Amino acid sequence: MKKIGVLRFSGTNCDRDVFSWIQLKGFHPEYLWHLDQFAINDYEALILPGGFSFGDYLRSGALAARSPVMKSVKEFSKQGGPVLGICNGFQILCEAELLPGALVKNEGRRFIDDWVDLQCVGVSSRFASQVKGSIRLPIAHGDGRYYLPEKDLQALWDSGQVWFQYRNENPNGSVQGIAGVLSKNKNIAGLMPHPERAIADWMGGTDGWSFL
Amino acid sequence: MKLDAATLKTKCKHYRISNEEYQKICQLLKREPLDIEWPLFSALWSEHCSYKSSKIHLRKFGKTMNATVVNASGENAGIIDLGQGERIAFKMESHNHPSFIEPFQGAATGVGGILRDIFTMGARPIALANYLCFGEVKAPRMKYLMDGVVHGISSYGNCVGVPTVTGQTNFDPSYSQNILVNALAVGLLRPGEKIALSQAQGVGNWVVYVGAKTGKDGVHGAAMASEAFDENSEAKKPNVQIGDPYFEKLLIESCLEAIQQGLVVSIQDMGAAGLTSSSFEMASKGQMGMDLHLDQVPLRDSSMTPEEILLSESQERMLMICEPSKLEAVEKLFSKWGLDACVVGKLKKQRTVSLFWNKELLTEIDPDLLVENAPVYERPFSAWASPRRVSSLPDLKFSAAKVKIELMQVLSNEIAGSRRPIYRQYDQRVGAMTAHGAESDVAIQRLPDSGRGFALAVGCRPFLMQVDAQIGAYDSVFYPALQMAIKGVRALAVTDCLNYGNPERPEIMSEFVASVDAITEASILLKAPVISGNVSFYNETMGSNITSTPATGVVGLRDHVDGLAADRFGKEGLKVLVLRLKGLELSGFGQKPQFKGEYNPQKVTELIALLRKAAMEIPPQASQVVGLGGLALALAKMSLDGIGCQAHQDLSISSWMKNILYQIVWVTDQAEAFEKFFQNSILAADVEILDLAITKKSVLDLGSELQFSLPELQKLSSEALQSYFQGVST
Repeated sequence: MKKIGVLRFSGTNCDRDVFSWIQLKGFHPEYLWHLDQFAINDYEALILPGGFSFGDYLRSGALAARSPVMKSVKEFSKQGGPVLGICNGFQILCEAELLPGALVKNEGRRFIDDWVDLQCVGVSSRFASQVKGSIRLPIAHGDGRYYLPEKDLQALWDSGQVWFQYRNENPNGSVQGIAGVLSKNKNIAGLMPHPERAIADWMGGTDGWSFL
Repeated sequence: MKLDAATLKTKCKHYRISNEEYQKICQLLKREPLDIEWPLFSALWSEHCSYKSSKIHLRKFGKTMNATVVNASGENAGIIDLGQGERIAFKMESHNHPSFIEPFQGAATGVGGILRDIFTMGARPIALANYLCFGEVKAPRMKYLMDGVVHGISSYGNCVGVPTVTGQTNFDPSYSQNILVNALAVGLLRPGEKIALSQAQGVGNWVVYVGAKTGKDGVHGAAMASEAFDENSEAKKPNVQIGDPYFEKLLIESCLEAIQQGLVVSIQDMGAAGLTSSSFEMASKGQMGMDLHLDQVPLRDSSMTPEEILLSESQERMLMICEPSKLEAVEKLFSKWGLDACVVGKLKKQRTVSLFWNKELLTEIDPDLLVENAPVYERPFSAWASPRRVSSLPDLKFSAAKVKIELMQVLSNEIAGSRRPIYRQYDQRVGAMTAHGAESDVAIQRLPDSGRGFALAVGCRPFLMQVDAQIGAYDSVFYPALQMAIKGVRALAVTDCLNYGNPERPEIMSEFVASVDAITEASILLKAPVISGNVSFYNETMGSNITSTPATGVVGLRDHVDGLAADRFGKEGLKVLVLRLKGLELSGFGQKPQFKGEYNPQKVTELIALLRKAAMEIPPQASQVVGLGGLALALAKMSLDGIGCQAHQDLSISSWMKNILYQIVWVTDQAEAFEKFFQNSILAADVEILDLAITKKSVLDLGSELQFSLPELQKLSSEALQSYFQGVST
């Protein structure tokens, strides 16, 4: 049985939440430690959870992107393996140049915890394939402002790489309200909001459930 | 060598040891203290570490204990048993002095310190809360302090990955020169998980240091927290510790792994008075001796002296006792997390702590002399007499127009404006347990094994403490318990953080004793033991004392997390009832703090029990305890989601503003059942129920020219605090 790998860097703090979400969905999660490489054929998908890997020192995600485990992640994704980065995981994927753009300090310069409305505008090869239209998810980040040079934006749209946009309100000043993006061949996905925090009514919403 | 009088005086002053204490030290040691022993006594006999002014009173909390208490005082935090194998460790602690000097680091390290008290017991931290008191917004440095404190809490808590789920922020001029920053942490022990203790055990076992290296930060921190502020407080900045939440996160994970794998015999964090208090307390509690090699302590600055190493309050450090056979496994585990575990000593049978520096013995001293024999003071106080009780309160001669202006004013300023700009900076959901976060009156988290709801609320209303220290202290336990009851939650246990002025002043000590007695009684009545806590005295700046502030944290339990009554109106056409306990009235906003009537803790306890029963049997759609500011303000706050209400009772204008202890707003489609429930209860003669209003979209209509547009109220409230928390300090 193939497993879903959950990456753990030191400072990752949503690893346990993602792990139990995968279990609740009936898949088989397994932690992957940042210092170790892994056998890519044992996994059907990988998730990079949120947190503050390496304390966000230097730039958020910068140190994690250069850790040994990322070598395997790159190989896995090169073969078309699906990879999802949530929050700090998204930052790491951008720093590793597996996803385009960068995530910089929120416009208001402060951490934001809130629920946001999102519009699904792209299709990932593996994640949230059932999600259509508008949904509601929590965000919790200090460096969530998506940035891509003006000149590259049209190409991002043309290749269908914009995955989610904030609706109604742009909480952090992201360019064009972009909340999630995809790689060119759609197997790598990153988003700032936390689907694993919206998988039951008691959490305040269930729109995150079908991201897996 | 006998010290001459002048040197002795200088030394006593430097180490904040009184002349009587010096005599006692000489008596205990049967000689004069050595140079290296001065800082030991200074730290462990400080108010902060020894509780010398409060100890005899805090013993009363012993009477509140019941069968649910697994572990109470004496350890880092108290633990209660929730049944079904789930246990909760929790504690609240002050970080007032450092936060006033350096708000960002002061508040951040307050969070770090209280977290270490929790995970050192083997419990994974699942929630943080805070209780903050600021002064007048226009007081010097106040905006800088407010913003810095919130930013500090947010930076630390978010990074370690523990959600901040609730809190309370008060403003009162008495805190203008001495703000309060109290942090609370909760840890969960899931079924089968081991509790770790701090007492040293096993002759020949290693004393192992793990975590951040020791630096000069925080030297003399405990002593600093034990004296009043003066105009030179700014110069104490170097005494403030610097925190690193990333390091703390690594410590949480590695220590919990080590504890659950049975690799450590005992463990203690290095908090106030750092290595001194952790080593001496571990030895004293375990009735053991210890050799401690100070030169083996990992240092950030190689020029540090033994005295500085002993007193440093560098953050994110732990001391553990390990069996020699497990040392290799311990080293391996910590190195996986990038941390060094380093042997700094060994346990021995002879009950002395021997301090070495490059193999030279600096001193050998019985730990009990420092820990168990610390002075205990019975500071003068007098029996509580309510000084502000009056036979009649001045009439609130308000016109409708005045009420309207007053209400809009408090909603648009720091008194009652929305706290969202504060809690929006806290990650409230990491851990994926949060059902109701800081936007709710009571935070609720879903326990992963049993699915039950774990509730947390903080209490203490400074205005009530100004009215009467005894009533205010009862209220600091009862008010959060009431808030829980109307959501169907049973209060289970209490922690407190007692913030007071100078205990050497009898009027302060009298308030302290009255408060401790009231908290004890309230806890006994509620069957919710006080299982942990902290005392912060000397909250005094240039002779002026803060309002006595016994902050509390109350934890509770609910069978599940579904069907909780909302805090606000959410549906049209529902009845809005008001239930009042007859008997106690307070003066209003802007008036002299006074009260009339009788506070009956027994009746309040009965009210709490009945409301909880009603919340379960005839669940309301929304419910709210009416706070200070009266009914008008409570209804206005309940209307902030866009559904208001229209009153059909013609209340007199002033009764919309009147402060009554206690009033509850109960929104229901089963009004008759609720009224009957109370008519048939033992409180039938003690309560009155008003059928006040009906919920209605877009309007708050209290009759007699008291109409409000909800979008306007929403705007006022949401903008009230916004400008204060946008990073002026960074």
